[in-house]
Amino acid sequence: MLSTMLRYLTTHWEYVGQLTAEHIRIVFLANGLAVVLGLALGIFISKRGREGLAELVLYVAGILLTVPSLALYGILMAILKALGLMSIGIVPVVVALTLYGLLPILRNTTTAVRGIDPAMIEAGRGMGMSETQILWRVRIPLAVPAIMAGLRQAIVMNVGIAAIGAYIGAGGLGQLIFRGIANTRADLVLVGALCVSLLAIGLDVALGVVERLSTPRGLRKGVRG
Amino acid sequence: MIELRDVTKVFPGGTQAVDGITLVVHEGEFCVLLGPSGCGKTTTLKMINRLVPLTSGTITVGGRDIQKLRATELRRRIGYAIQEIGLFPHMTVAQNIATVPRLLGWRKAKRRARVRELLGLLGLTPVDEFLRRYPAELSGGQRQRVGVARALGADPAILLMDEPFGAIDPITRERLQDEFLRIQREIRKTVVFVTHDIHEAIKLGDKIALMKEGRLIQHATPSQLLAQPADDFVRGFVGTDRTLKALRLTSVREIMDSGPLSVRDDDSLAAARRAMDRLERSFLPVVGEDGLFLGWVGRNSVLGPPSVCVGDRITPYAVLGSPDMPLNEALALMLESATGNLPVTDEDRRLVGLVSFDRLFESLRQIYVEREAGEGSP
Repeated sequence: MLSTMLRYLTTHWEYVGQLTAEHIRIVFLANGLAVVLGLALGIFISKRGREGLAELVLYVAGILLTVPSLALYGILMAILKALGLMSIGIVPVVVALTLYGLLPILRNTTTAVRGIDPAMIEAGRGMGMSETQILWRVRIPLAVPAIMAGLRQAIVMNVGIAAIGAYIGAGGLGQLIFRGIANTRADLVLVGALCVSLLAIGLDVALGVVERLSTPRGLRKGVRG
Repeated sequence: MIELRDVTKVFPGGTQAVDGITLVVHEGEFCVLLGPSGCGKTTTLKMINRLVPLTSGTITVGGRDIQKLRATELRRRIGYAIQEIGLFPHMTVAQNIATVPRLLGWRKAKRRARVRELLGLLGLTPVDEFLRRYPAELSGGQRQRVGVARALGADPAILLMDEPFGAIDPITRERLQDEFLRIQREIRKTVVFVTHDIHEAIKLGDKIALMKEGRLIQHATPSQLLAQPADDFVRGFVGTDRTLKALRLTSVREIMDSGPLSVRDDDSLAAARRAMDRLERSFLPVVGEDGLFLGWVGRNSVLGPPSVCVGDRITPYAVLGSPDMPLNEALALMLESATGNLPVTDEDRRLVGLVSFDRLFESLRQIYVEREAGEGSP
């Protein structure tokens, strides 16, 4: 089995590489959108006096995550078709992954922005910062590590879910898996699964580094000198 | 100048935190809001910079009603220092200190110069090194200094300080208090300072406003507060050892016997004996030719042949006082050394005075006389 997998990889490396690139493109596109939406929405709902709204939004995002991906693709295809948009291929998959990626980013952003030490906020206010200045100069910089952690979680999770997108023609590494299943070729299924896993692990490690680098220096562990 | 007139705060829910306070803090005055926790002192402080909105009454700062100013504008003109947790951990020391100057739109060069000046003023040297550090890289005391520097950032005329030295160890706190007093003598800000620590209040305040359950019970100088407590609550709060606390308010210089009689180390024993007889003392301080204090000579040790000089019979001194030492410390030293006399020397160890128990008792008596005289007047 291992040898057939290796043979497939050595003879089809170009094809596998192309699928991987497609996969990455889908995940990055979706999570790019998820970050923009998640940050904007997360900051919006974490303002004082919007606790109720925040709870509702997080609840809905939580429910979205429980919808099986195939079902979500189906629902989105119907909606997109009704709107006259491209209903198969990359578009419904990117939209679905964006929705999935929203929850971890939203949750982390809201928790972090709201969870800043109130004494620090009061210090800012007491020195004459406006609420907007407190948000951009204090709350968000302090929330960056948590936001990055949420993004990392969302990306790793979406690498797996994106594989199923091949079913509705979005391409990516899922294609290998589906072709393997259709042709009872276990080696293809395994090559696809292995590549998805390796991609997830690789991205997790890389994003871990990004997470550390994006943490303001004063917040990093071990700076006490 | 800060003026509070009939200031009241009722929190939503009906808690009356502050009840009709009228208080004036003059230009350059250090006013301590003192009281047990829950007495409304912090609420009072926060109403001055509108962190807590007034329920009724008026507050003016520099003659202007704070309600007529924009809150952010008002706050940028008032320095605000809280316990060390208020520093921004993601900003360097320099960025923290430059917070208000940046909000006010100062140019970079001006901000940088101000930050350097403040680091120097607060003894955070070498300046270049502290500029770049983050709060997590500082000790508790250093963080507190940065907190004070940040409050002084845009050189405001008024400082509001909410237990700024509360979260640090007693030794560092004492040192910071001393340094802050030194700085305050230099910069002469109008300060409102919240604490529950009577010692801190007495040490720092020009005036103390003692509060209880939202009311102002007594507003007086520290010595008045100690000598003439307005009621039993004040008496209880300042403590039964208030007389000892009052000692802290007077320095050795004020009560010492300056230019005390002493003998020289090259005087003969006979001369020392004569001096003791004349002064009716059993001990005399011995100084060198240059006025340096060398020690004591006692009656028992001056018995001997006239050829021997005092210098050979000196009893070494155990303790030395300085003119700026508060009397409570002087008393502690005297009790420790058990001589009943404290030699006071200048920085070059030249004898400049003596404090005796008699002198101390006299100054304590003064406090009581003052108090009795005070109780007669309204």
